[in-house]
Amino acid sequence: MAPPFLNELLVTDDTTLLLGLIAATVLLLNNLYKAQPLVHPILLGRQSDVARVRNPGESAVYRNYSTGLMGRFPLRPAKDVHILADLLKADSDAPRTLWSSKISNPQLQDRVAAFGTGLLRLAGLEVGESNALLLLNDCIEFIISDLALASHSIPSFTLASATLLSSVLDSHPPSVIITHASMLTQILELIYDAGEASRNHVIVVVGEPSTQAMASVASKVKVLKWADVEREGVRVEKIISPLPKPSDVFTVSFFASDSGHIQGAQLTHENLTAGVAAVRALLPLSHSFSQVDTIVSAHSLGTAYGRAIAYTALFEGTSFATLESSKLFHADDYTPQINVADVLSSKVYSIPSPTIAFVKPGHLETLVHAILKEARKSFLLYPFAWRHKTAGIAEGFVTKESLWDRLVFDTARSRVAGDGSAALRAVVVSQGPLSSEILTPARVALSVPLINCFSHPLVAGPILASHALDLQDLGSEGPGLAHSGPPSINCEVKLVGVEDEAIEKGGNPSGVLMVRGPAVAKLTSMEGSYVNIPSSDGERWVGTGVRATVQTNGAFQLLG
Amino acid sequence: MAFSLQLGTPVNTALFLFILYSVQKVVYPSVHKPKKIPREFKSGYSWLPKSHPPTVLFKTFTPKTLQPFSGEDGGRILLAINGMVFDVTGGRNFYGPGGMYGNFAGRDASRGMAKQSFDVEMLTPIDQPLDKLEDLRQDEIDNMKGWIDHFSNKYIICGKLVENDAI
Repeated sequence: MAPPFLNELLVTDDTTLLLGLIAATVLLLNNLYKAQPLVHPILLGRQSDVARVRNPGESAVYRNYSTGLMGRFPLRPAKDVHILADLLKADSDAPRTLWSSKISNPQLQDRVAAFGTGLLRLAGLEVGESNALLLLNDCIEFIISDLALASHSIPSFTLASATLLSSVLDSHPPSVIITHASMLTQILELIYDAGEASRNHVIVVVGEPSTQAMASVASKVKVLKWADVEREGVRVEKIISPLPKPSDVFTVSFFASDSGHIQGAQLTHENLTAGVAAVRALLPLSHSFSQVDTIVSAHSLGTAYGRAIAYTALFEGTSFATLESSKLFHADDYTPQINVADVLSSKVYSIPSPTIAFVKPGHLETLVHAILKEARKSFLLYPFAWRHKTAGIAEGFVTKESLWDRLVFDTARSRVAGDGSAALRAVVVSQGPLSSEILTPARVALSVPLINCFSHPLVAGPILASHALDLQDLGSEGPGLAHSGPPSINCEVKLVGVEDEAIEKGGNPSGVLMVRGPAVAKLTSMEGSYVNIPSSDGERWVGTGVRATVQTNGAFQLLG
Repeated sequence: MAFSLQLGTPVNTALFLFILYSVQKVVYPSVHKPKKIPREFKSGYSWLPKSHPPTVLFKTFTPKTLQPFSGEDGGRILLAINGMVFDVTGGRNFYGPGGMYGNFAGRDASRGMAKQSFDVEMLTPIDQPLDKLEDLRQDEIDNMKGWIDHFSNKYIICGKLVENDAI
């Protein structure tokens, strides 16, 4: 008979009660205290809205799920922003720091008006007729010239790389060149070499040109100092030109395509306001841009994407600076270094600590490796910290204020990036392939939303942008590139050159990425016969020249 | 009564071991990445749907190739208005065999839509050229355009209709 034996086995006493209570508490804690994912995984399964019909040889048209196939693309970040000048909100007069200048919106508008007037008077420009070449590294003078020229309907030319300078000077001789004093000698040489010394040239220099440079100025070349131009504009009554239309081209950004051909992206006011709307949508509403933010960007203002980021900073009233590697023009030979020192190069400006960083994959990789190297120095706690962080990320949750951050990672971050490192709250990576293996280390080391974007010189704003709170790790079936997410809110994309049978069988479509939307600029080519876009059906699908594939959840993955 | 910790008894040992195990899970959580990506959102946070949303290939049809899609074999039901082919499989009750408008399945329904009639006389025989719709009045053309809008909102345009010898 079992009962007496069982009774002996099941003897309970006070200890049992105590242990039972502890066990129940621990059980409840384990089951109920699970971290909630930052975004519900069901939303990450449907990131794009897919068209129901597709043409043969092409994939369906994909749009961001929040825009939807029936939705209209956002053209502007707010209701009344139609042209570039509207991006400076007139009613907000809080000062913020742009590079090293503390300036508020009304003051900036005054400087823009003064410079515009001074330029028209001293350089003899004609509204709507002349054009200007901006050879400036990113600085406040770039913004002022850009806004001034746009308000007087004078198209400006910018370059995505300094190697394009001589070709652009030859093919599109500008009425005025705005550059740095250190570049003056170089520009003069190029003008003389091209045999253009007989034409009238006007060059406006920022800074003090050396006496040697001034001595070599030919008689037909007029060199003006920036400060003089501004002073002239302040002195006299401001010239008011008719307002440009949103569809007017205000700048052409020249870039070299993959095959080496020089092409220009004609950006209209509407392209840029749409680009600003797209950049603003990168961060979720709960974390959106605000006046207390500081944005640093590694993307030169000469490119469409870099310009969209800068104007987003202007629109939102944040402080803004660019990194050393975004500088295009140097007096001597210089190769930009993409590393931690470059990330920290924004400290030379008097901006507050960066809160949102738009960087390139190289910056992210070097930064993450440096932080984890510092973190490993606390060898007792690091394994636990890593384990806990990755366990949280596997559930979809990460935060900068956890126990392990306080113990391990905060000190690591401050050792690498200095005192302001705790202010960083979002990182946007673009312009290069991002390996999927760096994703989890980056999420652990930085513990902030990490957004992987795809940008192209023809589009103001990102084309593809991953969800900010997406912490999925889909690389368990082999290493590859991190996915770039769904199309941005005002782009629609499709893949061409796909294999129909593979798609009908249920495989992932893969082909060349084509994009369309209000932020996509019109392409002009310097060599008239060679055109990079296929014959469009009047609705202007633009080819990006990169191959991509789509996952079943609507996120795009760039290939190679 | 003096309080003493008695871990020797089986129940106490079991509870103690359970507590140790749970605490170990809290202090040293498991990070287990599944070898294959889960295909349901309930199976894991990093998941991918099983398949892409279904898409239909845009095809060019002639009256002869369109005619089989009348739903009689239980397959797709297509009908054409003004050169646009609509996939009306969702409206099998109306356009399928035996339905009120079943005459239109697999055929060019432009004239019938314009004249608001479902008679067989509205249909052009398959081997003849497409109905040019030249003798329609303006209000009939407007009626047909209204039907095109209705169909575009409700069903998908999955192809275009061309002459028999055009392909």
